Amino acid sequence: MNKNRLLLGLVLLLTAVLVLSACGEKEQKDNSAEGNQNAESGVVNLYTSRHYDSDNELFATFTEQTGIKVNVVQGDSDELIERLNREGEATEADLFFTADAGRLFRAKEAGLLQSVESTTISNNIPENLRDADNQWFGLTKRARVMVYAKDRVDESELSTYEALTDDKWQGKVLIRSSENIYNQSLLASFIELNGADAAKEWANGIVENMARKPQGGDRDQAKGIAAGEGDIAVINTYYFGKMLHSEDPEEVKVAEGLSLFFPNQETTGTHVNVSGLGVTKHAKNKDNAIKLIEFLSSEEAQARFAEANYEYPVNPNAEVSDLLKSWGKFKEQDINLTKLGENNAEAVMIFNEVGWK
Amino acid sequence: MFNLDCKGVSTIKRIQKLFIHINGWSMLTFLFVLIVLLPNLTILLQLFSEPNQNWEHIKTYMLQEYLVTTFIMLACLGVLTIVIGVSLAWLVSAYDFPMKRFLKWGLILPLAIPPYIGAYTYHGLLNYTGIIQTTLRDLFAIQVNQKYFDIMNIPGAIFIFTMFLFPYVFMITRAFLAKQSASIIENARLLGSSSFEIFFRIVIPISRVAIVGGVSLVILEFLNDYGVVKYFGIQTLSTAIFQTWFGLGDLESAIKLAGTLMAIVLFLLIIEKILRGRKKYSSTTTKMRPLQPIKLTGWKAGITLFYCGGIFTFAFLIPFAQLVIWVFMAYDAVPYQEFLKIIKNSIFVASVGSIAIVIIALVIGNFTRLNNGLFSKISEKFVILGYSIPGAVIAIGVLTIFIGLDKFLRSFYDLLGINQTLTLSTSLLLLCFAYVIRFLAIGYNSIEAGYAKHGNHYTEASRMLGMTMTQTFFKVDLKLIKSAVFSAFILSWVEIIKELPLTLILRPFNFETLATKAFQYAGNEMIQEAAIPSIIIVVISGIFIFFLHYIMEKE
Repeated sequence: MNKNRLLLGLVLLLTAVLVLSACGEKEQKDNSAEGNQNAESGVVNLYTSRHYDSDNELFATFTEQTGIKVNVVQGDSDELIERLNREGEATEADLFFTADAGRLFRAKEAGLLQSVESTTISNNIPENLRDADNQWFGLTKRARVMVYAKDRVDESELSTYEALTDDKWQGKVLIRSSENIYNQSLLASFIELNGADAAKEWANGIVENMARKPQGGDRDQAKGIAAGEGDIAVINTYYFGKMLHSEDPEEVKVAEGLSLFFPNQETTGTHVNVSGLGVTKHAKNKDNAIKLIEFLSSEEAQARFAEANYEYPVNPNAEVSDLLKSWGKFKEQDINLTKLGENNAEAVMIFNEVGWK
Repeated sequence: MFNLDCKGVSTIKRIQKLFIHINGWSMLTFLFVLIVLLPNLTILLQLFSEPNQNWEHIKTYMLQEYLVTTFIMLACLGVLTIVIGVSLAWLVSAYDFPMKRFLKWGLILPLAIPPYIGAYTYHGLLNYTGIIQTTLRDLFAIQVNQKYFDIMNIPGAIFIFTMFLFPYVFMITRAFLAKQSASIIENARLLGSSSFEIFFRIVIPISRVAIVGGVSLVILEFLNDYGVVKYFGIQTLSTAIFQTWFGLGDLESAIKLAGTLMAIVLFLLIIEKILRGRKKYSSTTTKMRPLQPIKLTGWKAGITLFYCGGIFTFAFLIPFAQLVIWVFMAYDAVPYQEFLKIIKNSIFVASVGSIAIVIIALVIGNFTRLNNGLFSKISEKFVILGYSIPGAVIAIGVLTIFIGLDKFLRSFYDLLGINQTLTLSTSLLLLCFAYVIRFLAIGYNSIEAGYAKHGNHYTEASRMLGMTMTQTFFKVDLKLIKSAVFSAFILSWVEIIKELPLTLILRPFNFETLATKAFQYAGNEMIQEAAIPSIIIVVISGIFIFFLHYIMEKE
């Protein structure tokens, strides 16, 4: 009996050691296999903070067409930036893909990206949606718009983001936490357009008009309108699209009670952000990385890319989905998207100072 | 126990000890502690770095307010989980009532639900489009005031954390009470103590180590949480860490904040140790038998069942049912081909990680309980530090060390024909290692409680009879604390399978786990789709919890 137990303990220990080392070894083999493959048909390694099944389907199409395998690590953008940073020259990542221009700027500033020359890409992506040095490229656009209660608000009452700070909207405005990157980029754009003081005044005015303490995501703001907590919410376009096509019939009902409004059409334009990607400075498969960008910015991929997530394609030739068509064309903010990144830290500080949770 | 009063003898003994203890065990302990210490040190050392220009801003606008919120929540959570966890553990150990056999393990099940998923489900349940409000609207035409259904506030978050974390206290305390307390409690009963007296004057003091072990896990888990507080929009210390890192782009200050957090945790743990002092409660008889439960009948049984069942309902049944409803809404919206592989991945890393944790915890735990030196005391505290720090920050520490190691090993890789510097740091080893750093506290606390339960008498007797430390460990100690080893294994396993931040940042290419898949959907506010991987996590962990509970009961 005693010996059995002793044996059991030993066996347990041994298996653990074996499994652990096998775990390391197996990976090594995988990696060296990948290394070999590298030389032949090729791979491209991607760090991405986008998390849509539709992206993976596009990557699969790319592999079919070119034979290049797409390897993916998905994570939060800032954490991936830090991982790239720590890995330095040794990194295995060839591309960094994220859903905010500010983060792309941050990666560029940290010296993690490199300039890329490709006429295909330049033809596919308009100049204002890519980095001045071609270190990163926008792939999809999303607008930060307002939605309002059809039954309580008339479209004629709405005009600009700035007008939301009027006393008229006291206790009526729904918007999420300042921790959220979309709000940070929104404020960063105001800093660029109107100056820091005006931006701070705006943030302060919004805090005073908030229907409730910021909580939840963009969808929760829209639901807040339906629940009668507020009348107007600031959300990204694709969330509205997603709610209209939600698996939950109740969410569809909420979305149907709302209307979309593109603010600042007469003035500075609606705030637009991109998700985009850049080739890493120490990419081992640079050519394949460029091929992937060329593919993703092509007309064919762009239509699918944007449609799956109700975003706007950056390629002007790509077809816009029917839903987006029904929302109509709109005037976009005319600023260099890099500014969103440059002003990010200042925006966060303003949020803290005015007490926007 | 023998006492050595004579000074000379004790000095000789001390010198002997020095030599006796430089053996495999101390070497191994030293090695393990060192490994665990390194990533933690990279964080702790930031405390002493020069503050940069952002620090003033952080202090003024974040720290003061966030610290207050953190401490209020900490206090409430501590009290609530102790009250619920210990009372349930006592009821289940000392009484017989309907459905008790099920509740014994059913009350551990809430651990299978990650708190952030719990937060999503409760919010989903209570919000405007949730089932409760929809039903009220559609069937009874009642429009409710949103205020009464708002869970996204501080009390709401305390509720979420209490419901999904109390099982730590419950489980560790119950494991202790089940075997340990029989003779003391039965004597008290014979001497005419009332149940309440027994509970407050005996149960609580003797299970102190277990309770503290459980509640410190709860507190650490709360401190490192970012998912729930972010979703609910509550400002705690971990919010401050991430706002500094992501918002201000200042990782240096963020790690400095994490270091502060670590220092606070260290301080709390040391205070508890000092308060506990030299009090040790362990069994002195060789006859260990289970506590004989008293059968409850009538209204007493009813109330007990209502209380235990009620907690189970809120902590497991309701969120589970909500997840099931969502799965039915979205079952055709996710690609299933890859799920089998994802499940395999999850189980694989969870198993490797928890086996490593159990082994390391056994070695360090065995060493520290038999040695009273400074090294032993320090190592005991350091091993559990990793649990207090948000995963993403730990990840940075671990990554830094592995990349350094990889660069050091470069020439060795060349010999093997691997033309890639980042070999270890792109392997699963990195991830498994990070799990150990992060969750060692979980395994360690339950193994420590197991060792504490039996005290050192058997070990000392065995050593006196001429067995070596290693023989004693396998022949005596390991058997005595078998159930503690099992609970250490389950707890770390269940933790790893639901772990998110570390897995996200440290995984190799194309490596998905159930938790990362759930995050992928939840991060995109696709909560119905997220329910599918979530429910798989819950079911697998649930089976695991049941299976190991069964083994423990049989024994």
